[in-house]
Amino acid sequence: MKVKNGILKGELKVKNGKLIKCTLEIKDGRIKSIKFTGDFFMHPEEKIEELEERLRGIEFDKEKLAKIIFKFFEEVEIIGASREDFVEVIIKAR
Amino acid sequence: MKFRLIIDGYRNAYENMAIDEALLFYGKPTIRFYKWRPSAISIGYFQSICEEVNLEECKKQGVDVVRRITGGGAVYHDEYGEITYSFVCPKNMLPEKILDSYKLICSSIAYGLHFLGLEAKHAGINDIVVNNKKISGSAQTRRHENVLQHGTVLLKVDVRKMFSLLKVGEEKISDKAIKNIEERVTSIEKEIGKVKEEEVIEAIKKGFEEGMGIEFHEEGLTKEEMKLAEKLREKYESKEWNFKR
Repeated sequence: MKVKNGILKGELKVKNGKLIKCTLEIKDGRIKSIKFTGDFFMHPEEKIEELEERLRGIEFDKEKLAKIIFKFFEEVEIIGASREDFVEVIIKAR
Repeated sequence: MKFRLIIDGYRNAYENMAIDEALLFYGKPTIRFYKWRPSAISIGYFQSICEEVNLEECKKQGVDVVRRITGGGAVYHDEYGEITYSFVCPKNMLPEKILDSYKLICSSIAYGLHFLGLEAKHAGINDIVVNNKKISGSAQTRRHENVLQHGTVLLKVDVRKMFSLLKVGEEKISDKAIKNIEERVTSIEKEIGKVKEEEVIEAIKKGFEEGMGIEFHEEGLTKEEMKLAEKLREKYESKEWNFKR
């Protein structure tokens, strides 16, 4: 598999829900930095930064990302999108 | 349920958001009605200011921009085009589930709008619609065991102006795009003609009284709330906060 590098952007309009966008930097196949933006709701809000922090250094791999993201949403509530959508928007990023 | 009613008039964007956060901190059951001067854009907690807002145009038109503590989308708050409300109370006075509490608050507002002759109803997560067109949007957050929901009710709407201030995807401000939005968004004026702002407030108030069994007494902010709001205003004015995403 080709190792990804550089800045990627993803966007996902959730059906009957909100919009999630993400911008991420990949270095040697791992997430160097990531930021989610959009009009969704997350409670508590500040937790988003923790999610971004937890994803740092993780391999750009659907299963590995999903593991971190699903764990995160065990304690954080999301409205207008699902935990799967957060995985999807990263994987879709180009 | 006894609630304080604050009919607040005009304040700028930073003061308005600081007051809502101060109300949330103390959690005294309150409904506040307010307006924005100068006109402003508020963006949701998770939005990127640069992705959502045409900052140059805002500067040119004297429109302030502020980040909310609540999620949701960017809203243009026209000085003459809307009434904003905030609803605050301890968490245990509302349904535990956030979606259920949106439903309760939005349905009460929609019920209130019926007294003006509007066929309004709660739709989606956080909207109120009339004839399937959005007339009101809201956003909620929960902190310190308290709930804040704030939102707007459109009195009149100028889509062209709104478009000039917000970045609306890749599409240009074409007549077609404007017509498209005009088919999805409405206002009290568009539906039933001009209604005095006091009448709209009175109707929404009645919606809360009858929909949620709230009894109101008019009262201002407490000294503590004012003091905290004064401090929080600095955050809302800061670049660190507004450009943080």
